[in-house]
Amino acid sequence: MMRVKPWLPFAFLAPALLGLFVFRFVPIGISLVGSFFGQSIRGDTLFVGLKNYLDLFGDPTFWGSVWTTLLFNVIINPLQVVLALGLAMLARRPTKFVDIFRASFLLPMTVSIALTSIIWSIMLDPTLGPVNGFLRWLGLPAQSFFRSPDQALPTLILVATWKGVGYWMVFLLAGLLAIPESLNEAAAIDGASPWRRFWHVTLPLMKRPLAFVMVADTAANFLLFAPVYIVTNGGPNGATHLLMFEAYQSAFAFLNHGRSLAISTIILLIVIAIALMELRLFRPEEEADTP
Amino acid sequence: MSASSLPLGILRYAALSLVAAILLLPIYWLVMSSFRPADEIFRFAGAFSLETLVPRTLTLENYQQIFAGTFTRALFNSIFVSFATVFLGVFVNSMAGFAFAVFDFPFKKPLFVIVLLSFMMPFESIVIPLYTLMRTFSLTDTYAALILPEVAGGLIIFLFRQFFAGIPKEIYEAARVDGASWWQIYLRMTMPLSGPTIATASLMMFIHQWDAFFWPLVATSSADLAVVQVAIARNMTLEQANWGALFASASTAVLVAAIPFTILQRYYVRVVVTHADK
Amino acid sequence: MKASRRTFLKAGLGAGALIAAPHVARAQQTTLKVVWVGWPENQVTPLFAEFEKRNPTIKTAVERLPFSQVFQALEIRLNARTGDPDIFIVDSPLTASYAARGHLMPLDALVDKSRFAPSAITAASYDGKMYSAPFGTSMQVLYYNRTLFKDAGIEPPTADMGKRWTWEQVLEAGKKIAKPADNVWGFTFEQQERPYQLLPLGQSLGGTALSPDGFKATGFIDGPAFVEGFTFMQKLYTEAKISPPGQFDTALTPELFGAGKCGMLLGGTFIYDTLKSKFPNLDFGVAPHPYFAKGKPVTPTGAWNFGINARSTQKEAVAQFAKDMLSDDMNTLWFKLRPYVPTLNAVWQRDAASFSSDLWKIVKSELETTAVPRPATPGWREYEDILRVALRDMQAGGNPAEMLKAAAQRIDREIAKYKG
Repeated sequence: MMRVKPWLPFAFLAPALLGLFVFRFVPIGISLVGSFFGQSIRGDTLFVGLKNYLDLFGDPTFWGSVWTTLLFNVIINPLQVVLALGLAMLARRPTKFVDIFRASFLLPMTVSIALTSIIWSIMLDPTLGPVNGFLRWLGLPAQSFFRSPDQALPTLILVATWKGVGYWMVFLLAGLLAIPESLNEAAAIDGASPWRRFWHVTLPLMKRPLAFVMVADTAANFLLFAPVYIVTNGGPNGATHLLMFEAYQSAFAFLNHGRSLAISTIILLIVIAIALMELRLFRPEEEADTP
Repeated sequence: MSASSLPLGILRYAALSLVAAILLLPIYWLVMSSFRPADEIFRFAGAFSLETLVPRTLTLENYQQIFAGTFTRALFNSIFVSFATVFLGVFVNSMAGFAFAVFDFPFKKPLFVIVLLSFMMPFESIVIPLYTLMRTFSLTDTYAALILPEVAGGLIIFLFRQFFAGIPKEIYEAARVDGASWWQIYLRMTMPLSGPTIATASLMMFIHQWDAFFWPLVATSSADLAVVQVAIARNMTLEQANWGALFASASTAVLVAAIPFTILQRYYVRVVVTHADK
Repeated sequence: MKASRRTFLKAGLGAGALIAAPHVARAQQTTLKVVWVGWPENQVTPLFAEFEKRNPTIKTAVERLPFSQVFQALEIRLNARTGDPDIFIVDSPLTASYAARGHLMPLDALVDKSRFAPSAITAASYDGKMYSAPFGTSMQVLYYNRTLFKDAGIEPPTADMGKRWTWEQVLEAGKKIAKPADNVWGFTFEQQERPYQLLPLGQSLGGTALSPDGFKATGFIDGPAFVEGFTFMQKLYTEAKISPPGQFDTALTPELFGAGKCGMLLGGTFIYDTLKSKFPNLDFGVAPHPYFAKGKPVTPTGAWNFGINARSTQKEAVAQFAKDMLSDDMNTLWFKLRPYVPTLNAVWQRDAASFSSDLWKIVKSELETTAVPRPATPGWREYEDILRVALRDMQAGGNPAEMLKAAAQRIDREIAKYKG
C-alpha cells in the first residue's frame, strides 16, 4: 500500500464524502436516531428508548418476516451469483453473435422494478396470463404462481432473478475480460482440464469482482420489496412478507415511523454483517486492508 | 474453432439461445402488446394461440397517444438527469475508489465500512429526512434535487475500489519514479486502463436514475420536471388502466435505455479484441 | 424527554431554514400548490384552466401524482409540516386520518352542506366537522354479459330496482355460466380484495364494520354477519368456483369481463364508459347491486375529495379555491371531464339528459337509499391494509372466522395510537 502525504487521500475522497455526508449520512443518522423515538398523532416526537426494538422482538409478525427474508436471501443470492457467473462464462468468448446474446441478457435490467412486477404479474396471472394460457394449451393445469402460498416465494425469486441476472453478469464479465487470455492458454498447454482451469486459474483471479457482486447482490435483495408491494402484499398467508415490506408498510400504511426505522436499522445491521463476512471470504491473499 | 470443440460450441449456442429466449419473452410480449388495439391486448392472453404471440391487428394509436402528451418531455428529463449523474458520478466515485484502492491512510477501514453502509440503508427509510433537508436548501423541485443526491454512491465507490485494486501497484511506483503526480497517475494511467469498469459503473448509475421513481415523485412537483417512470405510472389509476399507453410508454423507456447498453456492448468486444491482438 | 425531530434538524442546519420559508404572498397574485391524482392531462388541465379564468388573481401549480404512490408521496410532504401543498386530493375514507393528524382545515364555514348528498357529507366529516370537500363519489352496479347468459339459457338480471337480484341468484346463475377449465367465469368483483367493495357483504347481513367511535374492530368486523358474508365470498372461489381466484388487479377484472370471459362483474360506474369504448362488440347490461335474501341492500360509496392544508399560508386564496371548486359550474365541468358520481344535487338536476340511462338511474336510487360510506376512523389505512390481506387469504381457503379475529386484533392494536 502506498504511503503518501496525509492529506492526499482525503483530497481524492473529498467530493464523494461530501456528497455522501449530505445526502446519505445525515439522513441515515437522523433515521437511526429516529428508531429510538415514537411519534404522537399530531407529529410530536417522543423519546421511547429501546421500546421500538423491544416491541419488535415480542411480535410474531416480525419474526415471521425475519424468517421469510432469510429464506429468500439464502436461496436468491447464491442462485443469482452462480447463474450470473455461468452466463458470463458463456458470453465470455468473442464468438459470432455473442454481442447479440450479451445485449439480450442485459435488456431485462432496463425494465424498472415496478414495471417488472407489473409485467410478470400479468404474465403469471391465473386467468389472463399468457403463461397459464400456454399451460392450458399443453393440457396442463393452470398454476397460481404469486397467488399460492407454496409458489409465491419461488415465483418472487424467479422474477427478481429475471431482472437481476444480467445485471450481475455485467460485473463478472468485466472481471473475466480483464484476465489475460495468456494465463488460460498456458494452463491449457500444461494439460489442465477446463474444469481445473476454471477452478485454479479463473476463480482466484475473480475474487474481487465476485466479492463486489456478492455484497451488492446481498444488499439489493435484502432491500427488495417492490414486487411484494405491487403484486403480493406480503401474502398469501405471509409467504412473501419480507422485512423490507414490513418496514415500508409500517411507515407508509401504519404511520409508525419508529417501528419502521427500527426494522430498517436491523436490516442494515444484518446486511453489513453478511457483507463483511463475504468480503473476508473473498479477500485476495495479498490484501490485508479489506475490512 | 477446432473440430473437437464443435459439439461444445453447439451446446454453448443452445444454452445462450435458451437463456436469451427466457429473458426476452416478457419484453417481447410487452412490446407486441403496445402495438395492439385496446380490445385485443388481453383477448388472446388467457388461451394460447398464434395470436398470443403475433398481434392480429397492428396499430400505432398507443404511441400517437403518448407522444401527443407530455411523455417526450419526461423522456428528455430522464435522459438529462441520467447522463448528468453519470458524468459527475464517474469522476467523484472513481476518485474515491482510487483512494481506497491505492493509498494507506488513517481511519481507512472504518471509513470504508461507512461507505458500504450508505447503500445498505433502505432509501424509503431516509426519504423523509432527505426531503426535509432538500427543502432546507431550497432544492426541491429542481433538476439538482434529482441529480445531486445520486452522484456520490457507496456502491459505485466500492465497484471502482474493487477493480482498481486489481491493477498491479508496480506500475504506479514506476510512474512515481518518473516524476508523475498522483493526480496524473489517476487521470492518465488508472482511468484509461479501466475502460470496462468505467463503462460498468456508468451503466449502474444510468440504470439507477432511469429507474428512479419514488424520489423524483417526492422531490419535484412541477410538470416540467416529471421523469419517465412517473409518466409511465400515470397510466394506471384505481378506476381504470390505460394498458395500451402504459405498454407503449414502457416499451419506449426500455428501448431508449437499451441504446447505452448497445454502445457498451461494442466496447466490451473491442477490449477482448485488443487482448487477442497481444 | 421530549424532542422534536424537526427541531433537531433545524438546530443542525441553522439559518438554512429561513431560505425555505414560503414566499410572502403578493397582493395581486398568489399561486396555490395543488396535489391531484395523475389522471389524464386532458381531464385535469381544463378544470384548473377554468378555475384560473374565473379567479384571475389566483394561479394554480398542479401536480399529477401517479395513483400507485399518491398516498406515500403526500405523506412525506405533509410530514414536513409546511404549507406545501396548499390543496391536496383526499381519498374520502382518509379524511379522518389527515384530520386527526392536523393536516386538514375544517371547511364548515365555507360550504353549504345542504347542497350535497348526505352520504357524501358523512364521508367527508370527522368528529362532527367537515374536513374534506366532496368532489365526486362512487357507486357499484352489476354488469352482465347478455351473450353468456343467453348461451347458458338463463334470464339475466334487470335494471329494475324492484327486482334486485339476491346473492343466491348470482351464485346460481354463475354456476350455470362458469367453466373454470376453459377460463370462463360466472361472477367477479372488480376489486376482489378491497374492503370498499367487500364490506357490503357483511353489512347486508346487518354487520357494522367498525365501532361507532372508530377505534374498535373486535366484536364488529369479526362478528357473525361478516363471518357469514365472507364465508359466502370464499365459496365463490373455492367450492362453487365461479369467480377467478387471485385476480387482484383492479384493472384486469374489467378486461376479463370485456374479453367475454365472465358472466357478471360487480364494478364502479367508470367501467361503463371503458367497456363501451374498448369493446364495441360486447353486449352487456347493468343491474343493481345484489343483496342477501335474508338481509337488506347495502352499497359502497365514497371517492376522491380534496382538502385544504391546515398550514397553508394563503388563507384567502385557499378559501376561494374551496368555494369556487364546489360551485355548481365547476362541479358540472368536473363531471364532464371525469364522470365521477356527482355529490352535488345541482349537477344531477342541471343535466338531466346525461342521467336518464339505466346506469345513472340505478346510481341515483342507490345513493339515496342504500349507500353506506366506509367507517370514519383515523386508522382507515391500517384497517384497509390488514383486512385486505385477510380477504385475499380467505379467498385462497383460509378460515374466515379465524382470519377475521386475527385481523380485528391487529387492527385494534394499530388503531390504538390514535386514541387520545
